[in-house]
Amino acid sequence: MLMIRHSIGSRLLCQTNIYNIEQQDDCWLISVSVDEETASKVLDFQDEINIFEVKENEKTWFYSSEAQINFQHNNKKLVILADHKTVYPT
Amino acid sequence: MIQLFPADTRYTVKNDWLESSLSFSFGEYYDPTNIRFGPLRVFNDDTVQPGHGFGIHPHREAEIVSIILKGELKHEDNLGNSGTISYGSIQRITAGTGVLHSEFNASNKEEVQFLQLWFSPNEKKLKPSYEDISYDIKKLHNQLIPVISHIASEQVAGIHQDLTLYLSRLDGKNTLNFEQESGRKIYVFNIEGEISINNDFILKSRDAARITNIHEITIQGNQDSFFLLIDLPVGEF
Repeated sequence: MLMIRHSIGSRLLCQTNIYNIEQQDDCWLISVSVDEETASKVLDFQDEINIFEVKENEKTWFYSSEAQINFQHNNKKLVILADHKTVYPT
Repeated sequence: MIQLFPADTRYTVKNDWLESSLSFSFGEYYDPTNIRFGPLRVFNDDTVQPGHGFGIHPHREAEIVSIILKGELKHEDNLGNSGTISYGSIQRITAGTGVLHSEFNASNKEEVQFLQLWFSPNEKKLKPSYEDISYDIKKLHNQLIPVISHIASEQVAGIHQDLTLYLSRLDGKNTLNFEQESGRKIYVFNIEGEISINNDFILKSRDAARITNIHEITIQGNQDSFFLLIDLPVGEF
C-alpha cells in the first residue's frame, strides 16, 4: 500500500494499492494512478509531501526534496521523483 | 496590530490517550487562512495520558521545539539520542534532511503536558540534530528568560532561525516591557493565569496574541501568570 501525506501533521492525501516504484540511479520514480482531484490535492502541497510504502512490518519513507512531482493528465498518473528513502520498522 | 486568539478558538483533537489543541493548520485541521505566523508553523498544546505517545515517525525541514509543562516526555531518535525531559527542560530537533523519532509519556501514572512548536528553518537540507537544555525555573520570575535562540548558550538551545523564545512568570500585577527591532513580529501565548498586553488586550489561560507592526509592548500580570513570548522575523518562509 502507498500513502501520500502532508508533512505538517501527516494529513492523508492519497492511499492506493495501484502504484509502481522504480529505482533510477540515486532516486526512485514513483508512479501512482489517481484521479484529478487527488492529484490536485497532492500538488497543492508539493513542497511538503511525504510518501510511505507500507508493508507488514516496515514502512519506507520517500520524499522529493526539490518537489519533483507531476501529474500526467493523459494516463492520470502522478509521477514523483524521490531523492530520499528511509526504511524503518513498524 | 494585536490579534487575539482565545483558547477556545483552537481546533482540538481528542481521543482516549491524546488531547491536542492546535493553533495553526496541522494534520486533519486545515484552514488555508491559518497556516503560519512568520516562521512559526505549528503550535500544538498536547496532553498525553500515562504510558501512551507517538510511535516512530519521520520529520523533515522543520525546527521542532518541545516545552514540557507537566510530567515527563521520553524521546528516542535514529540519530542515537534518547532521554527524558520534564518541566524546566526544552528540546530542539533540527529535522533537516530527515529524522525518525518517537515521543512517549515516560510515566505510567501521570499525564504529560507539553507545547510543541515547529518553525521553518532559515536554510534547507540541514544536517539533523538534537539538543535538550535545562533552564533555571527560579529565574523566570518577573523577567523574560530566553530558552531558544539563534544565538545559543549553556541554558539557551540553538535554533536555525532568526528568533528568540522567552519564558516568564509574572508574580501578581508585575509588569514587563519588551522591545524588538522594528519590522519583526511577536507571538505571545499565555500558559497559566491572566496577562494584559498594552493594558487593552487580556489573555486568559491558553489564549494567544499575534502582534505585527508594534515593536514595543508592555505585559502586565492580572494574577500570577506563566507565558511565552517569541520574537520572530518577517519575510517568506
